[in-house]
Amino acid sequence: MQPTSELAGSVLKARTFGSMGTVISLTVPARALGTAAVPGTAGGGERELDAAAAAVERVFARADETFSLYRPDSEASRLARGELSLRAASAGMRDRYADALSWRLMTEGAFSPERPDGVLDLSGIIKGYAIGQAGAALRSRGITDWCLNAGGDVLVMGSPVPGSGAAWAAGVVDPLDRSALLSAYGLGGPGTRWALATSGSAERGDHIWTAGSRGVEFAQVSVAAADIVTADVLATAIVAGGTAMLHRATDGWDIDVLVVRRTGELLATPGFRA
Amino acid sequence: MNTQLLTSRPEVRRGSRGAVNPFSGQHRRRLLRADVLTVLFWASLAGAVALWLADGGMAGFSTPAGSFTALGIVAGLAGMDLVLLMLLLAARIPLIDHTVGHDRALEFHRKLGKPALYLLLAHGILIAIGYGMAEGLDPVSEAVALWVLVPDMWLAYISLVLFIAVVVTSLVAVRRRFPYEFWYAVHLLTYAAVLTALPHQFSVGGLFAEGTWQRWYWLALCIATGAALLYYRVAQPLVATFRHQLTVRRVVRVAPGVVSIEMSGLGLDQLAGSGGRFFIWRFLAPGLWWHPHPFSLSADPVSFDAAGQGTLRITVRNLGRGSAQLAALKPGTKVALEGPYGLFSTAARSRSHVVMVGAGIGITPIRALLESTPFQPGNATVILRGHSESELYLGEEILSLCQQRGATLFHLTGSRPAGVRTWLPETSARAGHRLASYDPNVADADVYVCGPAAWAQSVLEDARAASVREDQLHYERFDW
Amino acid sequence: MRTRAAVSAALASAGILIAGWQSGVHIADSSSAVASAATGTAGSTGMGTGTGTGTDDSTASSGSSGAGTTGAAGASAKAVGTYAGSVVQTRFGSVQVQITVQAGKITDVTALQLTDAERKSVQISNRAAPLLRDEVLQSQSADVQTISGATVTSDAYLNSLQAALDAANL
Repeated sequence: MQPTSELAGSVLKARTFGSMGTVISLTVPARALGTAAVPGTAGGGERELDAAAAAVERVFARADETFSLYRPDSEASRLARGELSLRAASAGMRDRYADALSWRLMTEGAFSPERPDGVLDLSGIIKGYAIGQAGAALRSRGITDWCLNAGGDVLVMGSPVPGSGAAWAAGVVDPLDRSALLSAYGLGGPGTRWALATSGSAERGDHIWTAGSRGVEFAQVSVAAADIVTADVLATAIVAGGTAMLHRATDGWDIDVLVVRRTGELLATPGFRA
Repeated sequence: MNTQLLTSRPEVRRGSRGAVNPFSGQHRRRLLRADVLTVLFWASLAGAVALWLADGGMAGFSTPAGSFTALGIVAGLAGMDLVLLMLLLAARIPLIDHTVGHDRALEFHRKLGKPALYLLLAHGILIAIGYGMAEGLDPVSEAVALWVLVPDMWLAYISLVLFIAVVVTSLVAVRRRFPYEFWYAVHLLTYAAVLTALPHQFSVGGLFAEGTWQRWYWLALCIATGAALLYYRVAQPLVATFRHQLTVRRVVRVAPGVVSIEMSGLGLDQLAGSGGRFFIWRFLAPGLWWHPHPFSLSADPVSFDAAGQGTLRITVRNLGRGSAQLAALKPGTKVALEGPYGLFSTAARSRSHVVMVGAGIGITPIRALLESTPFQPGNATVILRGHSESELYLGEEILSLCQQRGATLFHLTGSRPAGVRTWLPETSARAGHRLASYDPNVADADVYVCGPAAWAQSVLEDARAASVREDQLHYERFDW
Repeated sequence: MRTRAAVSAALASAGILIAGWQSGVHIADSSSAVASAATGTAGSTGMGTGTGTGTDDSTASSGSSGAGTTGAAGASAKAVGTYAGSVVQTRFGSVQVQITVQAGKITDVTALQLTDAERKSVQISNRAAPLLRDEVLQSQSADVQTISGATVTSDAYLNSLQAALDAANL
């Protein structure tokens, strides 16, 4: 982590918008924008940030249109109602479904694209996928230092202090006191983890299907990984699969994990300790 | 008459007392080897603790939890080291056998059993307490957590149970209640216990993490022990069996219940001088082949030609089920052998003077030793002890050997006095005889004793009382 | 001769133990060097004033914490101290905790080491292990740019820490 003074010298700029039932924040160091825009013009950076935010918003809107079960007219809703068969679904839908099935295999069922009532629910994988796509859109616009936060799932590139190599410091919310932070984790910078996703059993209680009939062991699981889909899916899977899945995940993937048990006790891999 | 002096006492040559002792060099080297082994034993224990010290282990003592854990780690290291040393002691390694003898090696092996087990138990308990204190758990919960959460730990728990089983069945009191075969089968579990103990040492023990020299040291120790066991207890016996191609030539009745088994084979010249030492024999006949019999040679091997073709002889008393069948062995039966083992041979000599004391079937290795061990006429005394003349097995042969070589021979027969602890017959004991009465030079002699354990102990006590030093005493257990 | 064995065994064992102990002391020294190096970093990290209580005010003060840092640094000679706890062995490896004290209050708690990374047994190196809340970096000392939490709905966002951060950066 960087001393505050250095960070204080770098002004961060943020844009937020709502999509997919949550709020998405794009945070960019002002200096990074300055170099990409016309030098010396004060408003250039702001306009570039607006344009970038709009591009990100379009990515999320498109994903929401196709995959939201909250929109009656989405492809996902029509699939859920049986009006559409997977065979006839769009290539994007079929790809995400295939991804979700392969994650189900890799997590030995702890992550599943189907709700217990049999309805296809790709929301567990779509948000991560959309964040990843939005990141690609930012990169393609030549922005190399940014932090994208979609409802608590974070993907970063570069550094909050462009060129410094400093990591983005991502706080992890305390599920027992949402106004407090539990820990902080350095994303990007010198490390190889750019994504941090947190899943919980508190909010949207039916968001994660638990494997087996036991109660949920973990109140909240945060996973840091190289890519956001892995982080998001594994966080979901560990909440659902409990200790067994936690060990499978830490053994099988290059990730860091911070777990809050329902009793409030913490479990963490070494990456969350220093 | 129950005490017989059978040869006229030969002239003791005055000059021989002052002559150079031909065994002093051999004796010095053997004592040096014994000291080196002693040093190696303690150094290996110190080494196990040093592994932990070198890892900065002392830092653990700054907290109560750390102290428990640190002691637990040290106990585990020392315990495992003792287990490896025990395996080496039982591996029949020639260096150990030539230095302290098979008997004393096994005696030491038995003595280490309980300390090793206590250390391993302490390891488990102290670690559970230490980790538990560090994590706010009671030791039992911590033990359960270790079992469930930490890979390979369940194997370590199994290992501990096996170690307990092995040590408990080897306690003298317990061992007597079960047949030898039961004890032997349980003792084989030692290998399972060691193998199940290994994974957690290398996967969980931070001390032996990959990339540390400690890991290599420990691996080398374990592999060397395993290799020694395989080589000396499996490979060598197979080689010896194929080299010597032994077959039973004839079985001769020596006395009621006592037979001599003569075997012919090849390469027996290589075994010259092993008269008195013992081998572990397996007679490859139906119902007998699986039963190992430890018997001493009752005569030095005889070879007829340069190829070492010749004969071996053991003399066996019918003591148990196994030995009973031996009397009925058919000529031509193939024989597998392991050995020779033990220090009941010239290799143990330290003085020019020698006193050999045998009782019952324990007379037979004395017979072989008398045949081959070097001494000047007049420098050897042989004392045979039995209830009656007929129990002084091979007495005729021994008499003629004594006459040929110039040894003094005593036959001590008759029963023990009641309630007195002595190795002598009643009349001799009452007359106040002692070992020194039979050989006044005993204090400067090698004393070889072979016979039943309690009897042998009182001979040894008598010898010590006659100021015979410990390294002059050579004793073979002859319980079988 | 027995004496010779006893003396040589004692000398050899003592030599081995002393050699082991000496190299152990060496390790302890180097790890405390690491600890003091870590102290510098942790100390400067600890200067940030609290973002933890989650109100917009505290977040805003975090944004302008430059002054706070220099103030704390100036007083550091007396008021700031970092203390490394002892290394505690757990089934997951050795753990050492460091605290930073400012003006008599504990402002920062960090785990200096779970184990030395390369000395840790590989098989369980990345297992999630239990730890106490004070063993992770506490919120008031963490100066963060983004916040990860279980899915925040649009409604919940308004009261979230992320909203406060975003508002500060608008």
